Amino acid sequence: MFCLSEMEDTVRVPPDLLKLPLEVAIKKVLQKLLLNKVLSIGLCVTIYDIKSAEGGFVLPGDGPATYKVRFRIVVFRPFVGEVIAARFKESDSNGLRLTLGFFEDIYVPAPLIPRPNRCEPDPYNRSQMRWVWIFEEQEYIIDHSCQINFRVENISYPPVPTEQAEDAKPFAPMVITGTIDDDGLGPVSWWEGCSERNNEDDDT
Amino acid sequence: MSSCLNFYNCSTSLRWLNKFLFTSAPLLEKERREEKEKLRIRFPSAMSGEEEENAAELKIGDEFLKAKCLMNCEVSLILEHKYEQLQQVSEDPMNQVSQVFEKSLQYVKRFSRYKNPDAVRQVREILSRHQLTEFELCVLGNLCPETAEEAVAMVPSLKTKGRAHSDEAIEKMLNDLSLVKRFE
Repeated sequence: MFCLSEMEDTVRVPPDLLKLPLEVAIKKVLQKLLLNKVLSIGLCVTIYDIKSAEGGFVLPGDGPATYKVRFRIVVFRPFVGEVIAARFKESDSNGLRLTLGFFEDIYVPAPLIPRPNRCEPDPYNRSQMRWVWIFEEQEYIIDHSCQINFRVENISYPPVPTEQAEDAKPFAPMVITGTIDDDGLGPVSWWEGCSERNNEDDDT
Repeated sequence: MSSCLNFYNCSTSLRWLNKFLFTSAPLLEKERREEKEKLRIRFPSAMSGEEEENAAELKIGDEFLKAKCLMNCEVSLILEHKYEQLQQVSEDPMNQVSQVFEKSLQYVKRFSRYKNPDAVRQVREILSRHQLTEFELCVLGNLCPETAEEAVAMVPSLKTKGRAHSDEAIEKMLNDLSLVKRFE
């Protein structure tokens, strides 16, 4: 979920930004430095506010002014055991991939999909496989029709690769492994019938 | 999308450890990394001698027990406010905001149950009266379970030993939340 985190860092404001009000200049530098990056506290979404900025000294031989800044940022920080609402992105024979829009590296591997199940080629999309849960002789398809609730099982932070093959998948600094094998998890339509809220959503 | 995420090293005291079900002896750093490559299913009850982060048992790093967790509806208000500020400055704010900001705004707007700032404040107030940690407060505020059973399934730590949350207290809390929704 989202957390408000207070941090302190040394920020160098380049000379071309010094004509702006200090707060605006520091925010610009911080945004460039932190936005979209995965810190060890989570994925930084936005700078919330700047609590204090001290210093402003120009070090010898260096153009930018250096400030010691205390600020707060909003981070997306999942916890193991947390239930999160996501949408279906794609699936293959290894399992499902879910997305939150701003974060797409959520994988539900085959062992964590409720059993009994089966995997079959998707009739609507030939390159994909589709997962179907079989419960009491009823078949429940996992696809993009509804919001999918999953529980975080594991979060991993793969190390930055030094070299990458040209056709390798883009590097993901944070990968969430989730499960939908429990009461209340999986597509919400399995538990209550797609609610009005889902019906009026457009597919993005 | 994930190609625009880069890793930035920030010093904190959090330790990210994975302890696997069948090993109890401490693994060497290299072996630990290799184990991480293979998929293992972690069960909340697998206790190890080392610290393990697990929200189901409320074993979360100390910083996060005290840190301010935000519900989706609160983040929605924050991001909308920022977006409006940008709108005042330039005519095309969408150009200026990053993709993560834009998609996060879409996500929280879609998945927040309460839109009105007063309603959001009331929700936080109601949930704060019940001796919940920040994390539990936010999960309940985000998912809005309807019955006490659902609430305990989503937040198992409500019923761990020593915590005085009876089913009636939980039901009352959930009722208050649904009243806020109705009169929003």
